[in-house]
Amino acid sequence: MKTKIFLGNFESLASISNFIVDQAEEAGFSPSDVYAIQTAVDEACANIIDHAYGGENVGRIEIRVMPIKKGLKIVLKDTGEPFNPDDVPEPDISSPLEIRKERGLGIFFMRQLMDKVVFKFSASQGNTLTLVKYKGG
Amino acid sequence: MKFSITEYKHCDLFKINGRVDSYTSPIIDHALKALFTDGHYNIVIDMQDVSYLSSAGMLVFVNGQKQCQRQDRGEIVFAETPENIFSSFKLAGFDQFFKFYENNTSAVGHF
Repeated sequence: MKTKIFLGNFESLASISNFIVDQAEEAGFSPSDVYAIQTAVDEACANIIDHAYGGENVGRIEIRVMPIKKGLKIVLKDTGEPFNPDDVPEPDISSPLEIRKERGLGIFFMRQLMDKVVFKFSASQGNTLTLVKYKGG
Repeated sequence: MKFSITEYKHCDLFKINGRVDSYTSPIIDHALKALFTDGHYNIVIDMQDVSYLSSAGMLVFVNGQKQCQRQDRGEIVFAETPENIFSSFKLAGFDQFFKFYENNTSAVGHF
């Protein structure tokens, strides 16, 4: 298990990706699965900065990566505002260009690319987002 | 992330190198808008050396394409898009808004 703490700003996203890609490769995922995991975590962190913290350099993001049977579990913690994924409408990916809405794509990517996505909030610990990916899943 | 813009007779080749995420996409957005301001609406994005593209990055191109459509001028097309990145375009349903070419020659030749 490895844990790293990053500053909640967009400049951190490249370092976060490097950390996640290393862990996913070490766990033996295929290149396309490594890219999928990288995307899910990058979108999650961008959402934390944009929505939970409401901007850059407000708080930190703790990322814990745990190898599990047949895969990888990634837990992201922040101390921002409670995040309720049900408040974000799912994008209509078939809508034409001129009326296409922009919100909700990050969560949509996480749900499509990972096998398990769990959002939790507690007043003492803040937001906890758990992402699980199984090999070949 | 680095980028370069090469002007051809009928289009501009916008070559990007590195990550396009929430940190770097505003830079691409700014450069794209500067091209539009100069009246350059025929744009080939060379994706060969893009290592990662987030939804924020994709939205820069989607909004650029919307602007072309609103002005009824030109379009953004992609060349040499890596498979993983093309999969993200498909997942978001954005692949339907763009033409994807295998190489720069055929993309530039489109205009």
